[in-house]
Amino acid sequence: MNIQFNKGALELCVLALLDKTDRYGYELVQKISEQITISEGSVYPLLRRLKKEDYVTTYLQESTEGPSRKYYMLTDKGREYLRVIIPEWQIFSSGVNYLIKEGTGNE
Amino acid sequence: MNREQFLKQLNASLKKLSDEEKEDILQDFEEHFDIGKSEGKPEEEISKSLGSPNQIGKELIATHYLGKAEDHYSAGNIFRAVWAVIGLGFFNLVIVLGPFIAILSVVLAGWITGLAFIISPLLVLINVVIYPGAFELFDLFFSIALTGLGILIAIGMLYVTRFITTGFVRYLNYNAKLVKGGLKHE
Repeated sequence: MNIQFNKGALELCVLALLDKTDRYGYELVQKISEQITISEGSVYPLLRRLKKEDYVTTYLQESTEGPSRKYYMLTDKGREYLRVIIPEWQIFSSGVNYLIKEGTGNE
Repeated sequence: MNREQFLKQLNASLKKLSDEEKEDILQDFEEHFDIGKSEGKPEEEISKSLGSPNQIGKELIATHYLGKAEDHYSAGNIFRAVWAVIGLGFFNLVIVLGPFIAILSVVLAGWITGLAFIISPLLVLINVVIYPGAFELFDLFFSIALTGLGILIAIGMLYVTRFITTGFVRYLNYNAKLVKGGLKHE
C-alpha cells in the first residue's frame, strides 16, 4: 500500500471520528485499527499535529475505571476543514473505484 | 517489548524536546497502556501494535522542529527541521536534501555577490596600499558604483531569502505530512 496516500486518509479518519463526539486517544486508535491496519503509535503524533494546527483541542476527564483520560474535541476550524476534505476524499475514492471497475471489470 | 522498554526507548528518542513536552507525550502513551491493560491486553501486544517507538519519536521530533521553523525562520531552526524531516525515511533524503542544497547554494551565491560588490571600494583601497603606483580614479568610481549595485542586490536578496524560506518550510511541512508512516506496508 502506498503510505503517502494513507497518511491523508488517517487524518481524515481521526477528524471524522471526532465530528459527532469527543473521544480519547485509545478509543480513536481502536476504532481506526478495527477497520484498517495501522501502526497504532503514529496516531499520537498525528493528534499532536492536529492540536498544533488548532483542528482539535484536548481536555482531561475522570473515568469510572482508573485515571483520567485525555479527550480530543474538534474545533470549529477542524470541522470546517473536515467539511472540505470529505468531498475531496469522496471524489478521489470514486475516481479510483471507477478506474478499478474499468480496468478489471469483465463485460 | 514491554511497557517499560517501550516508554524508555520513546523517552530516549525524544531527548531534544523540552521536559514538559516529553512528559506530555509519554503521558499519552502511559494512558494508552493503562487502558489497554484494563481491557486485559498484555503489554507486549499493546507495544507491538503501537509500532516502533523510535519511528514515533522521529515523527514527533520532525513535527516539533517544523513548528519551530514556522514560528521563527532562523537558520538553526531550518537546518534542524530539514535534518528531522530527512530522518523520517530514505525517500525524504532524496526529495528534501536535493532541493535544499540547490536552494541554499543559489541564496548563498546571491548574498556573496551582493556583499562583494558592497565592499569593493575597500578592495580598491587595499590595492592602493599594496601597490601605491597602480591607483586609478576610474577604479574608485567604478567600485563605488558597484557598492550601490551591491546594496540593491542585498536588499533584493533579503526579500528573496524571506520568500524562499517561507516556501521551503511549507514544502517541508507538506513533505512530513506525506511520508509520516500511517499504515503498515501490507
